[in-house]
Amino acid sequence: MSDMNKYSSIPRATTEASAPVRRLEVDELDASRPTVPAAMEYDYTNFYFGAGDDAFALLAPFDDWWSQVQPAGYYLYELPLHSAPGTRVDVKDTKTGEIRRNLVNFASYNYLGLSYRPEVKAAIKEAADIYGGGSSGSPILSGTTELHRAFTEEVAAFKGKEASLVFPTGYSANVGTIAGLMRSGDLIVADQFAHASIVDGMILSKAKSRFFRHNRADDLDRKLAGFAGKKLVIVEGVYSMDGDVPPLAELIEVCKKHGARLMIDEAHSAFVFGPSGKGVAEAQGVDEEIDIHLGTFSKSLGGQGGYVTGSRKLINYLRGFSRSRFFSCALSPVVVAGLRKSLELVQSEPHLRDKLWRNVARMQQLLAERGVPFGESTSQVIPIMIRDDARIFMIGEEIFRDGVFINPVRYPAVGKHKSRFRMSISAAHTDQDLEEGAETIARVLRKYGICQS
Amino acid sequence: MPVVGSYRFQTGVSAFFEMATADARAVLPSHLEPIEVRHERSVLSVSAFLFDDSVVGPYTEVMFAVIVPPSVAAWGEHAKAGLYPFLCATSSAEARRIKAERFHFPYHEQSIDAQFIETADRVRIRVFGAGAPILDLSVTPESWETTTHLLQGFMMNGDERLRTMLHISGDYTVHENERGDMKLFPHPFTNALLRQDVSPYPFREHWFKNGTEVFHKLEAF
Repeated sequence: MSDMNKYSSIPRATTEASAPVRRLEVDELDASRPTVPAAMEYDYTNFYFGAGDDAFALLAPFDDWWSQVQPAGYYLYELPLHSAPGTRVDVKDTKTGEIRRNLVNFASYNYLGLSYRPEVKAAIKEAADIYGGGSSGSPILSGTTELHRAFTEEVAAFKGKEASLVFPTGYSANVGTIAGLMRSGDLIVADQFAHASIVDGMILSKAKSRFFRHNRADDLDRKLAGFAGKKLVIVEGVYSMDGDVPPLAELIEVCKKHGARLMIDEAHSAFVFGPSGKGVAEAQGVDEEIDIHLGTFSKSLGGQGGYVTGSRKLINYLRGFSRSRFFSCALSPVVVAGLRKSLELVQSEPHLRDKLWRNVARMQQLLAERGVPFGESTSQVIPIMIRDDARIFMIGEEIFRDGVFINPVRYPAVGKHKSRFRMSISAAHTDQDLEEGAETIARVLRKYGICQS
Repeated sequence: MPVVGSYRFQTGVSAFFEMATADARAVLPSHLEPIEVRHERSVLSVSAFLFDDSVVGPYTEVMFAVIVPPSVAAWGEHAKAGLYPFLCATSSAEARRIKAERFHFPYHEQSIDAQFIETADRVRIRVFGAGAPILDLSVTPESWETTTHLLQGFMMNGDERLRTMLHISGDYTVHENERGDMKLFPHPFTNALLRQDVSPYPFREHWFKNGTEVFHKLEAF
């Protein structure tokens, strides 16, 4: 049996995008286009469990599969950048070995373009001269510097809360907060599209876990009903795969009805949404009605780390019980110095947010004019809906080689037939970046019958 | 791979519903682990087939199964999924007898009657037992393709652990757009599910047409 025959599915002959996108007929397709390897019909979920007593039993089958799918598309992940994550990037094409230069970058989270600002880099250099590269200790032991202490207070002040706690990553902020607060016998109900770090926090907490249908307050009501005991509801500010936001007022009403505390992860929305940039909760006028505010510094601030803010009592408790912070090395003071400068710029340059939203509106217009389907996004995260799990990598490769750096997302990260490219818009994008990027994407999608015009 | 049974079908659907992992574990033998779509949420497959050619002639079948990981290490072919059927029902006592003997599927002892009502945008399966409603399931299409899926079925015969390879070929559509639905009615066939925490809508809908289901020889492991 050849390797290819190990995979039983027959590559599809045609594709169909969701209405109202026009569907190509078979004879319209380019017959010379390479077919998709059958192995691409499989994914990580097929290699999660395996037979046998050897802990390495799955390594060989997975390696066999990976050897086929990696060159067929998975190589598009972990492409090494040879430049800062600016609006134009140089990226190594690991399939050909070439460095692809000056690509329009829609893959980085740098929503306000702060990571490479001269002021930020100067602050980083200055901190490196004083503190060196790392913090060399847990935050509760020797890892806290004066920079950490000051930054923690600045984050709390910016968010308008009594106190905050800083974590080494956004992931650890969610894990540490959720598992630090909730216990076995409690109930946690999260939106079904909650980030993996929220889910992992739920697992670590050992609380009973439920998920409500995305953004549906009526389903949240059902999931909370009848449970007596401590309850925590978790939502996100902007959902990272769809770019939509939660109906917070409706969700808050349900939480109040059931006596549940509400936590919001504003990883993608803090520092960009709302009149002062606090986040979606501020933008929707419900900031004070949410009990726990969490977020990251790696997106809009262009750095690294995560935070939780709220009442002083909450933060004092979490300081003692957030194991992911307690047992991790503190953020590098170099990173903290850059973050402090970025936060200062967020507050002193509110026009950056205005520019971001103008860019978002412009990109939505450019995509709409070209018939590119982009879902229900209301944020700077714009999903370019492909809905073809088998060919998204092929399409992604063409877009990459035509000059745009953008990440493909397919099952299991999103549902079956919900493949997409996740586009991140930055305030730093120029009109030329947006127009060139939209045109390149549309040109490739047209070839595959995904654009209407 | 020796073929043990081949069944041609006009329509075959499988809808995946989230169920509590505790409920899934309760029906699985100890050596099988449910696949979780998210923490503490496993997968209930509700499938219905309208067979138009088999050793017993045409008949209909409904099956409840828990989705489990296929075993990939010891087999020459990679299966897309594994399933452990924990309750089945058919319109044919003879079909029931043969499949119970060959594959050790656990069958509901009374015959059921399943109506397959197909329209352009969905197929609805209404299942009855002695005239009383048991199950009402609807599945919707997305794009169609011709394909073959290789699956693994797991069964128990007393304490004996068994598995088989299963090929399903035909015109096929699958999606996760949550357009289908299911209603369960009180009945001995569904009572266990009614007591469980099962989602009322399928998160994934599979629909096969004009295809063949081929069972290969059972193996003990």
